[in-house]
Parts: sequence; structure tokens; C-alpha cells
Amino acid sequence: MDFSAVGAAAAEALTLASFIGIGGGVLLGYVVGVVPGLSRSVAISIAIPLTFYMSPYIAISFLIGLSKGTAAGSAVSAILLNAPGEASSAATALDGYPLAKQGKPKTALQVGLIASVMGDILATIILIFVAIPFARVALMFGPYEMAAILAFALVFIAGLSSGNVFKGLAAGGLGIFLGTIGLDNQTGLPRLTFGYTELMDGMPLIAVAIGTLALSEMFIQSEKLRYDRANMSVRLENRADDHITMPIFKRILPTIFRGTGIGTFVGALPGLGPSVGSFMSYGMAQKAAKQPELFGKGEPKGIAASESADNAVIPAALIPLFGLGIPGNVSAALLIGAFAIHGITVGPLLLRDNPELLYSIFAGMILASLIMLVLGWYGLMVFAQITRVPPHVVIPIVIFFCLAGMMLQGYGTFGLIILMAFALLGYLMKKYDYSFVTFLVAFIITPMLELNLRQSIILSRGNWEILLNRPIALFFIVCTLIALIALIIRTFQTDKAAAGAPVSE
Amino acid sequence: MKHTFAAVFGATMLIAPMALADSWQPERPMTMVIGFAPGGSTDIQGRVLARTLEEHFGQPVNVVNQPGGGGAVALTRFLNADPDGHTFMFGVMLGLTFSPIVTETEYDIDDFRYAGTLVGGQFGVVARGDAPYQSFEELVAHGKETPMTYAQQLPMDQAIMELIADQEGIDLAIVPTGGGGGMAPLLLGGEVDFAFSGGTHAQYTPTGEMNVLAFLTRERSPFYPDVPTLVELGYPYAMDDFRSFFLPGGTPDEIVQAFEDAARFAVEHEPFVEVTVENTLHPIVFMDAEETEATIRDIRTANEALMAN
Amino acid sequence: MPRSDFWSGLVVAGFGLLALIWMIPNYAGSNPFAQMPPGLVPSIAAWIMIVCGGIVALKGLVKLIVSGISPLTTEINWSAIGWALWPFLFVAVAIWFMNFIKITWFGAILIGLMLFLLGERRWWLILGCSVVPPVLLYFLSVYMMRIGVV
Repeated sequence: MDFSAVGAAAAEALTLASFIGIGGGVLLGYVVGVVPGLSRSVAISIAIPLTFYMSPYIAISFLIGLSKGTAAGSAVSAILLNAPGEASSAATALDGYPLAKQGKPKTALQVGLIASVMGDILATIILIFVAIPFARVALMFGPYEMAAILAFALVFIAGLSSGNVFKGLAAGGLGIFLGTIGLDNQTGLPRLTFGYTELMDGMPLIAVAIGTLALSEMFIQSEKLRYDRANMSVRLENRADDHITMPIFKRILPTIFRGTGIGTFVGALPGLGPSVGSFMSYGMAQKAAKQPELFGKGEPKGIAASESADNAVIPAALIPLFGLGIPGNVSAALLIGAFAIHGITVGPLLLRDNPELLYSIFAGMILASLIMLVLGWYGLMVFAQITRVPPHVVIPIVIFFCLAGMMLQGYGTFGLIILMAFALLGYLMKKYDYSFVTFLVAFIITPMLELNLRQSIILSRGNWEILLNRPIALFFIVCTLIALIALIIRTFQTDKAAAGAPVSE
Repeated sequence: MKHTFAAVFGATMLIAPMALADSWQPERPMTMVIGFAPGGSTDIQGRVLARTLEEHFGQPVNVVNQPGGGGAVALTRFLNADPDGHTFMFGVMLGLTFSPIVTETEYDIDDFRYAGTLVGGQFGVVARGDAPYQSFEELVAHGKETPMTYAQQLPMDQAIMELIADQEGIDLAIVPTGGGGGMAPLLLGGEVDFAFSGGTHAQYTPTGEMNVLAFLTRERSPFYPDVPTLVELGYPYAMDDFRSFFLPGGTPDEIVQAFEDAARFAVEHEPFVEVTVENTLHPIVFMDAEETEATIRDIRTANEALMAN
Repeated sequence: MPRSDFWSGLVVAGFGLLALIWMIPNYAGSNPFAQMPPGLVPSIAAWIMIVCGGIVALKGLVKLIVSGISPLTTEINWSAIGWALWPFLFVAVAIWFMNFIKITWFGAILIGLMLFLLGERRWWLILGCSVVPPVLLYFLSVYMMRIGVV
């Protein structure tokens, strides 16, 4: 590594202008992330015109800070309102909201923030020192490997749902079905779009995520108001024990490391995205835990697993971007655009031709994480006050922002109707105990899985022996089979347990 | 921000009365519709173009993204726009020349007016830089001996490659990719032998990682003057796309004329040319309103013939 | 809740069946050359829904029979259903209105009316909560995103 370039980079990273630019990005992202309904893509569309006026280094760091800010901010609404702003924060709500309801909202927020920042910084360090020289490893993951990994993720996460296994699988089936809507990638012809041009790119993920996660939760809460108005809100009681302690930190530390590892792996593979990372990490944490039954009931490890992976994906998605010029996910693809505005072509040449810029960006990324820690630490004191606002005031405002967020994306009234349909679906699924996690993950994974399967079948020309030369693919196929068998065994066990127990539901 | 506006305002006050005395002028802020998500090459060019137009028209130009269906969603919603020139689209032709063939769209070419083209496309066939074939002829020769794989992106390039493979006797397996982002890992990872590129190659050719073997467009790309087109190689197939101003149907001629002038202004305007050519690596191609519409109809006829096979 | 299990399972299986016999044959398209035709994955999904929904419904039905409960009931708590339903209807009507009035202008009425319906009667609170978010949206869309009023 060229140390004079590093020194110059650090110097530029510490100017006042960059401090303001990065801090502004983190703050903007954090605020947008906190409001349910406004998602990362809104934040980025706000930011891209702003970056016209910035130097390349500040512009890029601003955008990366923004991504990090939204990832950390969406945890706040997931924990306090059970209304995650992004699909990738849905796993955070599973334990964050119960912990907040138990009177420990600050603990939950602090665990989430520390996991976010640590996942972030560790993944950035991996990005700088390990990954870029080894970015070509990502090319070893061809369609066979990707199909096997996606199949594993699908089966593994389907096995997570806590309730009735068959209901979980039925929800997964619906997710798969809705995930196939859109242009068929082989023929280019519309599939299951029923003649609507708007569905040609598939059901908009933003509508599905906001509808089933945030909006449906508002309808559930407005229904609860009738029965339980007094006990609805999360109480902020300034309890002395409501903060993160050393024992909790030590307990979640291994989970954070594991989550960072999973998030970095998922982020480095082009296409997978943060939702897969956070759910995989949550599932792995649950499987590794000594008391897996605590998950879903306010286990800090659950929050830490989800948030660390969610945030680790963001720097990790830059590994293939800087190493190979291939964007790891949608946010990284937007960065290519931002680079292009400033006349910079992203890829391996950046390190050769423009190392100062690259090191400045790395320095800016670490700075962004540190700003996020400070901002989040004081911010959560402010945001924790949301819990003082009675729920009947929160509900209409959140509904408004969900609708507005959809309009800001340019989907029009059609988008709002889809949003409402998914809010109704999410409401029914939550009410009748069909796992919306399985649904959402199946919906997200299906298009990628189908594409990679098709590619594998065509490329192998139907010859299965090709897999023998693909140890990574074989490994994940074996993992998938094990997960599948475990799922079947669990199904029969719960069946027996249910048959043995009296009708208690 | 404030003084930029003031400067622009001042500049137009000077020029407007002289140069554009009797032509149409916008009276309030204008809206530019882009049928793609923020961050893509159309969006980047569009946003710079919006600032160029602010300078030309003397009114703020807001950019609205309506992504979906390769521009088809934006076109469908554009049907309801008022034909007063304050709402216009910076669009790619594919939504008109291709989407109506494969799917039932609510719109067709006759529903809009076309007011000038600014940017050309560059569809090509690419291979890895270290592949054993460095030109399309070598590729065909190689393919006659060994089975090959090709990564498609649109049904049209798939149709062209199938026709060529049939004609040359190549055993070709065609893989879907789901867009340019999906193509690069497949090609660079060695999973496929060659691939279609809608412009992604611009990032990889400077490093020598990718090689453009042939262009599917009718004319050679100014950035790769040595690379032939398929037509030049003796295959009578072409696939073209341009980025133009679309206006709602029923827009008066004088407004179409004003946008044609705006296009003429923009292709000479330094910031727009720079971002298009140097940053997003697309050629500047100017066509007037009449030629734009004729080109759209031409390409549509060609595509229909191709897809009928 | 065997009764809701029975009915919800039946709905899921019914949707799967509808997809299999009507939606997929009519709208999935076909590709005779593909090893994985366009209808394959949707069909698998439909079968998963039919089988799993069927099992849920069947188990619910068995429980109903064992414990001697009728699958239908006359004791429907209409006011509870109404209370669960009105927010959906309220938002649906609001979306219909948004065909004519932009959400930035309509937002204040949306929030204010819903606050009132949820039992808030302090006028200053209704006014503040219903005006501030649309103002923020206006600022966001017009000045920060520069896409005009949405």
C-alpha cells in the first residue's frame, strides 16, 4: 500500500468540508431511514442532484454515508414502532419491538446502533485490506453456486418461522408466486402481469415491503386501540437498567462478528442484497444460540445479528464494485452513476490511476461510521421520545408517510393500490399467524433463484456431472438438503407435539 | 443555488428577446419525465440535460423518474400529460420500437410527438479480452468447431444471434441475464463465451477486460472506429436505439419546433456533451423532429420483421 | 383457533387452485424451447399453496370435528369487524381522492380526519399533526428532490 497516498487521503478526509458533507449524508440518511415509508431509494434520489455540487470524494462519501445512515435509521422505526422502513430491517423488529415493549427501548436502540456501527467498520476494514485484492474470488461464484446459495437461503429462512410450519410454507408459496410476476427473463414476454404495464418489472419491492411491514402494522395497531388503548404504547420510564451494559455487550459480541461475516459474504456476491444477509444472520444466530426459544421475545442477540449483517452488506457491496467494476446491489449501482457524473469510471483501474481518491473514500467511510455512532447515540435519546407520543397520533402520520413515500417513487395511484393490497395481505398474515418473513424472503429470492437455475441448466446443457467440478455449489447443495431434512423433521415433531397437547390455541 | 438562478435568469433576459422573439416560451417550471430509476445512464444524461434546458428556456426543469418496463410505464402515464409543452420526456426508443411488439401496450407510436434526438445507443457483442477470438470472424470460426454460449439481454439480440448461429452452423446455447449488471459477472467469470452489451462494455474495454467484437447498430460507434457492424460483416440484421424528446400527442407544431431548437442547443452545450460522451460513453447523435419520428418507425418495422422469424 | 385455521387454509388452497387452473394457463405465457418454461415456478408455488393450505384447513377441520364446533358461527362480532375494517376503507377512499387531489394538499385532511376518528379531540393537536407532515413532504418533494408537488 502506498503510504504517501494514504497520508494525503487521511488529510483530505479530515477537512471541514468533508466532515460537513459526510455528516450531512449520515444525518439525512438517518432521518429518512427513521420515517417509515421513506426508504433508501428516496434518500438517494434526494442526494444525487446534491452531489452535482460536490467534489467527487465528498460526493461519494456523502452517498455511502447516506446508505449507512438509512440502514441504521430504519432500525429505529423497526424497534420502536414495529414498522421497519426497509425489508432488511424486518429481522430487527422481530426482537427489537418485544424488547422495547418490555420497557427497554433504549437498550434495544443501543444494541442496534452498536451492532450497526461495528458491522459497518469491520466490513469496511475487510473491504480495504482483504477484499479488493481478492475480489476476483467473487467470479468463482457462477450461476451454479448462486443458485445453490439462493436455494439454501430460501429453505433455511423458511425453516425459521416460529409458528405453524405449514402456514409458513403456504406463505412462502405465495411469495414465490408473486415473485414470478413481471417480464420473463428468457422470452422477454410479460408473465402474470394481467395486461398491466406497471407490473412488467414485477410487483414493486418497495410497495410489498412498505405494505406488508409498515402499513399493515399501523392497521393492526389501530385495531388494538379499541381493546388496549392504555397499554399500547412503549413506555419510556427512564429506568436505571434501560441501557446497554458490559455483560450484554459481551453476550452480543460473537453475534456481531458472525453477522459481519455473513453480511460481508452476502454483500460481496453481486445480487444478493441486504435482506438476505440480515435474515441469514438472524437465522444463524438463532441456530447457534444455547436458548433459541428466547428469539422473537426480545433477545438482544437477534437485534445484533440482523443489524450487523444489514450494515456490513453496504461496504461489502463495494468489494466487487472497486475490485471488478460490478455493482454488488442496487445502492452500489447508483454509486456507479454518481461516479460517472464526476467523470470517474469505477473498477480495478481506480486503484491504479486514482489511489488517493480511493483511499480518501475509505477514510470517509470510516469517518461516516464514527459520525453515525455519535449521531445515533444522541439521536436515539431524541427518537426514544417518539415512544411518548400516543399511538393514535403516530398511526395516521405513519400511514400518510407510507402513501407519500410511494408517491415520491413515481409509481402513481397504481402504486398506492398495490401498497394497500399488500397492507391488507400483511394484516391478514399477521392476524392469522402466516409468517410474513417467509413470504417476503421467498418474494425477494425467487426471481434471482429462477434466473440462476435457468442459466445453470442452459450452460450445463443438462449435464449434471458438471457439478462435480463445482465444489462450492456442491457444498451449498448439501447444506440445502440438510436444511430441508431438518425442516421436514421439525414439521413432524411439531405435528406430534401439537397432537399430544390439548387444543389450546 | 440562489445566485445560479439569478445568473441564468440574467442570461436569458439578454438572449431571449433577440434569438427567440417569436417562438414558443414556457411560462412556468417544466417537468422532464425519465422512464428509468435514478443513477442509470439515461438518468445522469437527463439530469445534466435538465440544467442545460434551464439555461435555454429560462425556466426551472424538474426531473421526475417513473421507472418500469424499460420506459413503458412512463410512456403509459405520459398519455395523460397536457400537450402544453411543460411536461416532456427524455426517453429511449425501445419502449416504442420494441415493447408494443411483445406486449399489449396502451400507447403506440401515433400517440406521441417526437421533437429531436440527442444521444445514440451502442448495442454490441462483447467477449472477454483474453478470449481466443479477437474479432467476430474468429468467433464464428471458433464456433464452428466448439459449442458456444451467449448471454442475451433482449429477445431481439437473441433472435439475431439465433439466425447467425443457424446460418453459420454454430451450436449455440443462449442464456438469459436479466440486464447489463448480470452480464458482466457471467462474462468475466468465464461462464459464457460472448455476450450482448447495451453499453456496459464502456467500463471494461479501457482495462482490456472486454473486447467489442461487432456492433449491432447500423453505424459504427465513434468510440470504437475499428469495430465493424454486423451489416458490414455480411449479416443483414441491425438493432438501434436513440434517446430523444417525446411530447404528448396533440402538441402544437410551434412547441415541437421549440424543443427541436432546444435539442440543437443541447448537443452543442459543453456540460451535456461532456457528461454524455466522457462520463456515460454514449455518442451524441442529433436528428430533427421529422427524422426522429421516421427513425422510430423504421426501427419498429425492422424489429417486427426480426421478431416474426 | 381451529375455525380460522380451517377458513384461512381453505382460502390459501383456493387461491393456489385458482392460480393453477386459470391464471397460469392464461397469463404465464409459454416457451416450448425452454427447459424451465415460464409457468414452471408459478405452478410449483401454486402446488405448495394447495398442499400446505390444504393441510392447514384439514387439520383445522379435524380439530373442529373432534371438539364438536361448527365451522360456521352466528356469533359474529360485527362491531369488532367494523372497527378492524374502517381504517382500510378510510385509506382506500383517500387513495381514490388522490386521483384528483395531490397527496400534499390532501394529506392534512387525511391525517386530521383519521386522528378525529381515532378519538383525538384536542383541536391544536389535530391541527399541528395534520399540517406539519404535509409541509415536510412539500419541502422534501419540491426543494430537496426537485420533482414538484406529488
